[in-house]
Amino acid sequence: MRKTPERIERLAAEYVLGSLQGLARRRFERWMMESATVRREVWYWEQHVGALNEMVPQRQPPARVWQNIQQRLWPEPLPRSDVGPGRDWLLGGWSLLATAAALVLALVLVQQPAPPSVRVLTGAIVQAGIEDPLWVISEAAHEQRLSLRPVAAQAAAPGKDYELWIVPDDGQPLSLGVVPVGQVYRVTLDEAARQALGSSQTLAISLEPKGGSPTGAPTGPILHVTRLYEL
Amino acid sequence: MESEQERLLHLLAGVAQQDRQAFEALYRDISGRMFGLCLKLCGQRQLAEEALQDAFVRIWHHAGEYHSDRGSPLSWMLSIARYRTLDLIRARKVRQSVGDQPLKNLADERAGPLDHTLQQAGSAALTGCLDELSASQRDSILLSYYRCLTHEELAQAMDTPLGTVKSWIRRGLMALKRCLEQ
Repeated sequence: MRKTPERIERLAAEYVLGSLQGLARRRFERWMMESATVRREVWYWEQHVGALNEMVPQRQPPARVWQNIQQRLWPEPLPRSDVGPGRDWLLGGWSLLATAAALVLALVLVQQPAPPSVRVLTGAIVQAGIEDPLWVISEAAHEQRLSLRPVAAQAAAPGKDYELWIVPDDGQPLSLGVVPVGQVYRVTLDEAARQALGSSQTLAISLEPKGGSPTGAPTGPILHVTRLYEL
Repeated sequence: MESEQERLLHLLAGVAQQDRQAFEALYRDISGRMFGLCLKLCGQRQLAEEALQDAFVRIWHHAGEYHSDRGSPLSWMLSIARYRTLDLIRARKVRQSVGDQPLKNLADERAGPLDHTLQQAGSAALTGCLDELSASQRDSILLSYYRCLTHEELAQAMDTPLGTVKSWIRRGLMALKRCLEQ
């Protein structure tokens, strides 16, 4: 489509209004990147029609919004140091009994209470015949982070790695990276991952060559599939 | 008014320099207005909270990109929140209930679909130009703006063919621009 002045004028107005949508909106955003004239036209409307924004009555947001903003911009340092010097040693000695690891887990969970009314997903990866879960999973929505805490998980076979996936409602699994056994694995979720997980609430672990799937999709056997629950 | 914009500009400049205190002061200053806007647009607290969060994260990262050609600092920041709310509404395909009245009844009301005070205030802000539009043009523009209705939803809400609604908006916006430029 050619960028005639009339078209720019019309599309800029509809862009700011919000009635320009979908592909047409994306295409117009590219025009904005390419052309200062287009940008200026958008700014014109933002300034004038934007006066409408300032007329809306104020509403006080809940305190958690500010807390969440801070969490996202300046995440708290990992609570490792708070737990005391013993914990690294505990986690390092992975040959310890699973019950000991579970104690550590309980401690960490107590230390990180989730703020109320923030949705948190949780779950466990279990295997028949093993009493303890292999991993315990928790998602802190406000931190956009998923944590996988190994409890009874054993290291993958030599030359192999475990890889964690989000199984979306439809489409290809999204990789969340290779999961090291023997330490808590934390992964930050981007917007797409957050939405996919929020909707399907399903994770999987596959066995992959060392370093993870070379193709971006699971190549090895899917060892575990688990559904998370909202706390 | 001018001194408020100067203060916001000062705070925004601080944020561009990664000044967290300025950021917090900015949040205290405008979060109420921004949250009011997000809530008005989407009608859902959870989504409005998310949009507000996203907008402030964005302001923290992009404060340095503000310049006076983009309007007043407040207008620039509220635009960020508005676009983010729009995106979230579209991504989630949520549709807010429109206040107490079902959409169907809106077209019949002479005074138009929006709160009367809001419309008056909006009109004043646009230096009376909205008053020069036809009622249909004005209502379709304000409904698009404040309620984030798509052309299709608007056609349904106003019980009018899609083509007619599109031309109301198109002509209304151009008439608005001519009026604003006078």
